[in-house]
Amino acid sequence: MTDSNDVELVELFQKGDEASFNELVRRYQEKIYWIAHRFVNDHDKADDIVQEVFIKVYSALKQFRGESGVYTWLYRITVNVALNALRKQRIKDFIRIDEFFETADDENEQPDAIFEKNEQQKLIEEAIAKLPDKQKAVFILRYHEELPYEEISHILNTSIGGLKANYFHAAKKIGDYINRAHKTHKL
Amino acid sequence: MHTKHINYDLMDFVTNRLTEPERKRVEEHVQNCSQCSMQYKELMTADAVLKQSHIAGPTSVYYATILPRVRDRLISHRRSIWDSGNALAKILLPLAVTFLFVFFLIRIPTDSISESTQSDALHQAVKDFNEDDVVQAVEKEYAGGLLSPSLEVAAAGVAEHLQGDKFLKTAVSKQIENEEIAEMDVEGMISDLNTEQVDQVLSGLSERKSI
Repeated sequence: MTDSNDVELVELFQKGDEASFNELVRRYQEKIYWIAHRFVNDHDKADDIVQEVFIKVYSALKQFRGESGVYTWLYRITVNVALNALRKQRIKDFIRIDEFFETADDENEQPDAIFEKNEQQKLIEEAIAKLPDKQKAVFILRYHEELPYEEISHILNTSIGGLKANYFHAAKKIGDYINRAHKTHKL
Repeated sequence: MHTKHINYDLMDFVTNRLTEPERKRVEEHVQNCSQCSMQYKELMTADAVLKQSHIAGPTSVYYATILPRVRDRLISHRRSIWDSGNALAKILLPLAVTFLFVFFLIRIPTDSISESTQSDALHQAVKDFNEDDVVQAVEKEYAGGLLSPSLEVAAAGVAEHLQGDKFLKTAVSKQIENEEIAEMDVEGMISDLNTEQVDQVLSGLSERKSI
């Protein structure tokens, strides 16, 4: 099972082999976690995204026809779920119901989520968080995941020219944000 | 060469992800263009800061918990589909409605005309499966707050099942206006939204904000 490639795993699942889904989860859980985490900067939220992604994958796997690679397909689902999570967060922020449900993030952090965040790290996270959704997705997939533009183009359904423009503007905004912060706070 | 095209390759140049011919082309341009040279330096600084970014990831223990939790959620998801699926809609729901109706008739005081009218509307809506009527009945229910607890649960469940987004919009707007709805209801409903519904609610909220 562990030697099977992704397509073989999908075919096995489609023939009723439930264990092949387990192997897909094990194979991609870490990658998906990190993409999710880069979008939301929070362990619990990233964990929610990971679970939602695999539930969607399970539900859609029977219909998967291999128009794109399994890996591309998983990334596309992850980006969509992560962006949706960010939009939901915006609704909550808008109607200010957070105070009813959540205490400060730090208080909610589980042992696994206790990340050391220095000032510089916070600054980077803020800079990325402020990007528009599309630029954020392109930046994460290109800079952090190091995916080729062709792959990102399939994931985000955008032309390569458009992706390059998004990537440049994202990197520039991050640079500007960091520079401004350095000048203001003399970090 | 147009500056814009070079700009779009600059970050890949900084991170060394260009092919050799591309790299040479960009390098040459940067050496001869003060504007691009400045952009390049700024992106180099940004990259240097980004490279310092380090987040300690979760342990392998965490990753070992993902699959069992996904499996658990799949099982409960299947149960909930079964609970709210066709079998429920076609067989159990009419039975439940009849039962509630009889229960309601037995329990309701004869002078509660308002409650009776609302319940009838709700029953009728459930019977007819008319989504608008159900939503309207639920709205009335929240406005008046007169229905019995069991019927409230039924109404909320049916409305959510039939017309989740409309119900959510009502709930969210009420939440904004006077916080009538229990907070957990809104939280739960937001979690259940799909992408399209999220976009709808966001645009509705933006409109509300601009007003």
